[in-house]
Amino acid sequence: MYIDPHIHVVSRTTDDYEAMRKAGIVAIIEPAFWLGQPRTEVGSFKDYFSTLVGWERFRASQFGIVHYCTMGLNSKEANNIPLAEQVMELLPLYVGKEGVVAIGEIGYDDQTEAEDRFYRLQLELAKEVDLPVLIHTPHRDKRKGTIRSMDVAEEHGLDPKMVIVDHNNEETVKEVLDRGYYAGFTIYPHTKMGSARMVEIVKQYGPERIIVNSAADWGISDPLAVPKTADLMRKSGIPEEHVRLTTYQNALTAFAQSGQMDEQDWLNAAPLDQTKKMSGNSVLRGGQTPRVEGSSDFVEN
Amino acid sequence: MERAIEKSELFYQLLAEDADEKSLNWIRIQGEKIEKSGNSNSLFISFSQASRYFKKVSISLSEDAETKIHANYADLELSYWNLLQIARTYLVMKLPLEKETWFKTINQLFETGDLYEQQALFAALPVLPFQSELIPRAIDGLRTNISLVFDAIALNNPFPSIYFPEANLNQMVLKAIFMQRPLYRIQNLEKRRNPALAAIARDFAHERWAAGRDVMPELWRLVAPFVDESFQKDLEKVLATEDTLQMKAATLAIHESDFEPGKKVLNKYPEMIQGIQNGQISWESIGLEFQRARV
Repeated sequence: MYIDPHIHVVSRTTDDYEAMRKAGIVAIIEPAFWLGQPRTEVGSFKDYFSTLVGWERFRASQFGIVHYCTMGLNSKEANNIPLAEQVMELLPLYVGKEGVVAIGEIGYDDQTEAEDRFYRLQLELAKEVDLPVLIHTPHRDKRKGTIRSMDVAEEHGLDPKMVIVDHNNEETVKEVLDRGYYAGFTIYPHTKMGSARMVEIVKQYGPERIIVNSAADWGISDPLAVPKTADLMRKSGIPEEHVRLTTYQNALTAFAQSGQMDEQDWLNAAPLDQTKKMSGNSVLRGGQTPRVEGSSDFVEN
Repeated sequence: MERAIEKSELFYQLLAEDADEKSLNWIRIQGEKIEKSGNSNSLFISFSQASRYFKKVSISLSEDAETKIHANYADLELSYWNLLQIARTYLVMKLPLEKETWFKTINQLFETGDLYEQQALFAALPVLPFQSELIPRAIDGLRTNISLVFDAIALNNPFPSIYFPEANLNQMVLKAIFMQRPLYRIQNLEKRRNPALAAIARDFAHERWAAGRDVMPELWRLVAPFVDESFQKDLEKVLATEDTLQMKAATLAIHESDFEPGKKVLNKYPEMIQGIQNGQISWESIGLEFQRARV
């Protein structure tokens, strides 16, 4: 069993969902983020947030995957200040919903003044509703941005164990762990981590508070990054318990602090229920079972 | 109109049968806040957070409680509701009935609702105020492809059969067939059958047959009151499938029809007729059997 605690499944296909389930992913967390195309209207955010707690959750359930999400205004779009202000008014409508396991992903992108302002406002919101925080650390000037994210979180009185600092690398991991935070690692080709580097980090730092994720989205990324990294860890002689902690249990422990994520949600889930599935222009036609083999030239009736 | 708030008490009584004291206290306080402040934020927050206090478990629904509910809402069918739905309905009923604000708040709830919040709202349509102005909301809700939400409107809910114009009701029934939902759970379907729907059902069956697919047996219920020579031909085609469940549906439809020349064929199926007469074969039993085989 695996949890992928960071994946943007709105951008992924049904083939991905099938492959994820087949590889043993039982639960996923979809952080609210940007969509590639910048939004220009608050209504786009509203419909996106509703999708995260509505349609996408339903879509995931059809493949036997339990879908959770985090709610927040991402750092890139925080720079559109008039829009960001409206999004802040919208967030209270969503943060209390079922299956919302954190405020996130929030933090810094270019580390501008506007980003700082909305990051701080959302840290206060997280405290108010007693939810964990998922921090997105910047691609550029990462080390400084990561440290600043933690400094500001502490300035606002957040308990490090309620904070998951994501997209770490070899340069940031030590300080993040030393200061008591959860450290997320994103296995994402070219821009973030490769799985072989991840193995070395687990060897060096052990499994405590380390969380592996894919952050798979609309870019070249891999929705199977978590199970693949787990396999590589096993092949490299990392103990099974450490594999379990870094690809399942630590994510559960961190996000279950929301009170909105429970192992029973998948352990005791009703078996895939055909009556909940859809016919017609939906993802599974009536009576059709998800395809698990590779592609063929035969299209089911 | 003031009665919606008074009647919320009925739903509190239902909660009291199943929920613990802490949750009941919480919801009392929330209800008062919504009622007194008329502040939509207190509804938005408590409506979402109700999931932390009330689970999606079935409700006890004592006989006494059911009697009281039916005295106020004759057709309301609560047996498929869960405790969380009752809690959310209670909260919504506390919203003051100033029409403009009421709609603004309720629209926002519908538009931002998660799966289960939408389920609660749509199933509660029959107890909400301003009923006739909620018809477009119900019709729009049926455009969903999420079966949980579709079911909340279409199944065990008297709202569509009371308020929907024929064309909209027919669209709902056709979509229910398309999604293979149990038709016997559509309230008052019997009363609302109409020739246009029978024709739609027939066309749908023909399309399925052309594609080499089965037809949901409950579909023939829609045809029964309108059987003529051409429908009779289709029903005899169903009899020829040799599939027991399909045959049960066809014999029941022919048995119920007024098309006398068609009845002769029933002589070949005495055991089916016996089943119909002793109540073992009914539209409900056919629908149940079909759903069981499908899951």
